[in-house]
Amino acid sequence: MSHAEGGTTHATEPDRLRDEALQAIASARDLDELDEVRTRHLGKRSGLAALQRTLGQLDPDERRKRGQAINAARTALAEAEAARRAQLEAQRDQVQLAAEAIDVTLPPRTPARGRLHPVHETMEAMLDVLTGLGYRVAEGPEVETDWHNFDALNTPPDHPARSLQDTIYVHRLDGSTQLAEDGPTGVLLRTQTSPMRIRAMQSSQPPLYVAVPGRVYRSDTPDATHLPMFHQIEGLAVDTDLSFADLKGSLEVAAKALLGEDVALRFRPHFFPFTEPSCELDAFYAGRWMELLGAGMVHPNVLAAGGYDPDRYQGFAWGMGVDRMAMLRHDIADLRLFIENDLRFLQSL
Amino acid sequence: MRVPLSWLTEYVDPGLSAEQLADVLTMGGLEVEAIERPTGGTRGVRVLEILDIAKIEGSDKLHLVHATDGDETWEVVAGASNFSAGDKVAGALPGAVLQGSFEVGRRKMFGHTSNGMLASARELGVGEDHSGIWVLDDNAPVGADVTELLDLDDPVLVLDVTPDRGYGLSLHGLARDISALTGAELRLPASQAPTGDPGVPVTIADPDRCRRFDARTIRGVSVRPSPAWLQRRLAAAGMRPVSGIVDATNAAMLETGNPIHAYDLALLTGPAIEVRVARAGERLTTLDGVERALSTDDLLICDAGGPIALAGVMGGEPTEINPSTSDVLLEVANFTPQTVLRTARRHGLHTEGSKRWERSVPPESAPLAATRCAQLITEVAGGSVVGGADHYPSPPARPVIRLRTQHARSRLGVDLDPSTQASLLERISCTVVPAGEDLDVTPPTYRPDLLVEADLHEEIVRVHGYARVPTRVPSSGQVGRRTPEHEARRAMRRMLAGGGWTEVMPFPFIADADIDALGLPDADRRRGTVPLVNPLSQEEAVLRTTLVPSLLRVLRHNVNRQRADVAVFEIGHVYLPPTEDDPGADGGPEQVTLPAEPQVLGLAACGAFEAARHDSPGRPADLHDLLGAVDLVRDAVGRAPVAVTPTDEAPYHPGRAARLALDGAELGTVGELHPRVAEAFEVPPRTLVGEVRLDALLDGGIRPRVAAVPSALPPIRFDVAVVVDEDVPAADVADAVSAGAGPALAECALFDVYRGPSVGEGRKSLAYRLRLEDPERQLTDADESAAIDGVAASVEARVGGMLRR
Repeated sequence: MSHAEGGTTHATEPDRLRDEALQAIASARDLDELDEVRTRHLGKRSGLAALQRTLGQLDPDERRKRGQAINAARTALAEAEAARRAQLEAQRDQVQLAAEAIDVTLPPRTPARGRLHPVHETMEAMLDVLTGLGYRVAEGPEVETDWHNFDALNTPPDHPARSLQDTIYVHRLDGSTQLAEDGPTGVLLRTQTSPMRIRAMQSSQPPLYVAVPGRVYRSDTPDATHLPMFHQIEGLAVDTDLSFADLKGSLEVAAKALLGEDVALRFRPHFFPFTEPSCELDAFYAGRWMELLGAGMVHPNVLAAGGYDPDRYQGFAWGMGVDRMAMLRHDIADLRLFIENDLRFLQSL
Repeated sequence: MRVPLSWLTEYVDPGLSAEQLADVLTMGGLEVEAIERPTGGTRGVRVLEILDIAKIEGSDKLHLVHATDGDETWEVVAGASNFSAGDKVAGALPGAVLQGSFEVGRRKMFGHTSNGMLASARELGVGEDHSGIWVLDDNAPVGADVTELLDLDDPVLVLDVTPDRGYGLSLHGLARDISALTGAELRLPASQAPTGDPGVPVTIADPDRCRRFDARTIRGVSVRPSPAWLQRRLAAAGMRPVSGIVDATNAAMLETGNPIHAYDLALLTGPAIEVRVARAGERLTTLDGVERALSTDDLLICDAGGPIALAGVMGGEPTEINPSTSDVLLEVANFTPQTVLRTARRHGLHTEGSKRWERSVPPESAPLAATRCAQLITEVAGGSVVGGADHYPSPPARPVIRLRTQHARSRLGVDLDPSTQASLLERISCTVVPAGEDLDVTPPTYRPDLLVEADLHEEIVRVHGYARVPTRVPSSGQVGRRTPEHEARRAMRRMLAGGGWTEVMPFPFIADADIDALGLPDADRRRGTVPLVNPLSQEEAVLRTTLVPSLLRVLRHNVNRQRADVAVFEIGHVYLPPTEDDPGADGGPEQVTLPAEPQVLGLAACGAFEAARHDSPGRPADLHDLLGAVDLVRDAVGRAPVAVTPTDEAPYHPGRAARLALDGAELGTVGELHPRVAEAFEVPPRTLVGEVRLDALLDGGIRPRVAAVPSALPPIRFDVAVVVDEDVPAADVADAVSAGAGPALAECALFDVYRGPSVGEGRKSLAYRLRLEDPERQLTDADESAAIDGVAASVEARVGGMLRR
């Protein structure tokens, strides 16, 4: 009877201690309490530890059974403690991180930020297209001779473009300051990038594919659609067999690359002294036809002025306005914004 | 050129709408810029005949008018009284609409009811005249609808005619092209040679400039306004109606392209005509009332008494058509483009006539112009043509152009056989004679612009249609690219923008006063500005030799607009007198001297470089931000840091400016503006500017970077603090530290500058963090001690400094 009683007592003591400890673990309110519970119920001075120490007094069979019961209780408690610990850690993090919250809607922090001028960036975008077509970029002087700017480009001596109303002249650098009857000095701010055609032909042999970006000048008072200084990109392709069909194809793919593959284009006859046949390319944009560029087959006289035999070589050339393209890209209605250099404008782009 | 459609379709009518016809012209090289209806939208205006006019009691100006439309009599109050009983006028009766917007009603004035109104020319949009009621010509049918009678809804095509296509400034020329492009039948009037009495003798003293002179005499004209239909057409074409005779000369010019002048024959001395250049001292009062001193280069029409007209430009006042003119001498001449261009320019007289001469009028157009003008005069001013003579001493030979058809195919890229090429040219009235594979082409007289083979190529492809040319994209056979210098510049611009600098684009013009304001020394090369002949303004009178003045202007513009924080740059040309080392571009056959155009980086800043935020105060821009920009630029192209030395030159604060060099070559300067210079340019105090020549940095493009292989062995880090005299430049100290630390030095960075009692008066302490690395072996404490000893010895020897230990 007593054996049986004693056996029962011995078998339930670990379970009792386990249940008591589980209760304590479950009711621990924070990690500190949990640590305390752990020490009290699983530590060296815990009931289970004390029970463990009494195992030696038992007979082998009893010892084995009770040993198993103690181990089972310990495992259960360790698991329960770990689970409760994870729970309490998560609770603690939640509270702590909530307290650390910041206002994520405050303005971002960036280094001081600059902007590149829209005209230059448009010019670079156009050059990307032309280099993609196999053109090499070349640049020439802005102060030019009237020979390069007019004579060599087949412009008649009396052409109105040569007048002071149209062209900005500069005084001669060699000190001879006397002017021709109505002003021209023979030295001018180039009115077009075309004089670089002559310089390019003089400095290299065909086949020649060059794109010439640059500033050009006209004697214009600034208004919404005119500036005395603006930008062009000149293209020149010369080989033995280039034709008007090559001109059309090249300019079509270039225009579509800039304005979109779906843009409607038309080539319209026009006049330039330095090309024959000549044309203008229009794009249908914002409900109307808009002039994009002037182009044509290089005039034989111009090929000859550049040192090429016009019976052997032929090619095409064009000049396109950069500023106007920049107006299209950025929806700008007034050219003067480009030269006012107002940071409110420049930094909006 | 403004072309009333109804006038044009008298000569060719392809049965197209105004819009369709505009498209044909535009795609044919005669660009139609706009289609206007300047007199459109008028409804319900009718021809009334005046019955009687009476002054209204109590009013200064108003008259009570009774007028009839043939059926009914209308009572109308009129403000003007420039008409009389029997005159035909335009009556806008109640319910009528003027020019599509103004609806006319009944009004009560001074006890009378005005049933609508009588219209002036301006109220109908026909002209500017608003001084009185528009009196129509006598044969206007009473009761007729004025809109129909005068074709007020007629569209006007506004053309932008290119300089080569002079024929585009005539209705006949346009009709020829429309016929060529559409195949519609051309109906041009025939010309008649003068008959009868040759009349006034004509001497052409300068047949090179005056190639033809057709003079016709008309007697018995009466000077009166031309009929309403002609006034309406001229006004629509942009010409002010004057009188029947003058209007007829203008109309005939618009039709044929040949300018015409009419003289009052009774006022001609002689009468005799001579065409010659002016003699020294001669003067002429032109039709605009200006007395002009003539140049001996001006071609004149003279009578026996002297000059009566500036040939091709403007007639003289003394012989002009006037109200009592009854006999007229018509001048239908031919002048070369250059003579008219020079005279027009010299006298600042650009007229409808000179515009046509400048684009070349063929001598062959004179007889038809004379025929048409004389006929119109007799129609609108009465009188009869009594004679005349056509002086055409030496008709020029017409050019024959050999067209190589294979060459044309090759240049145009269209497969057109010789006979197709021939027929395309024949459509614009060329005479074409086959010569084997090739063609001998004689252009029509109305196309003096067709001179060489290439001109014919354009005509072939134009008539064939530009749109019908196939497209082909040729291969250039090369890789396209920018020049290395261009790539380098682009890298610099991008780096600067990333570093907080905004690119600006001012005009490259400055004033010499700007150079003075900068205080540059007399010998400075930047004083060698190149003046413009025709500057836009005195503030922009010379080409810039420095970017600084225009950058300061940009800065001022922004500061004045409450943008106090500015950091801007420009990479652009300056224009300097050329030197042997710095030459200009090739000056062409005449070896003209051109300026050197080096690329320069300009910088300007004021206000905060780092803007204030809610969590940090702003930081004002200082010299080191500019030096930072220069460092970004050299880094962008893979160059070593530039050497910096202090400078006290203009235009800078003498203690806050630096001179920059790369590999011993001068690059430029940066610094704070001298306070007096800042005042002169009206920019804020402490404004910073800089200017760096880019040639040396751009040369050869972006340098490839050589990789630094990091050592796998751990580095040694330690700090040293060097005490030196206040005036020793930090760069010298850093050099001394670096040199002393030995070959294992991988990094040397200044992290603190200290002044205070512990380092002594007039001294400063610079603290550096050093890192030693050796990929070959493990560094030890002994290496660190040796490096520190080395630094100590080096700073003592080089900059007189000592280590704080």
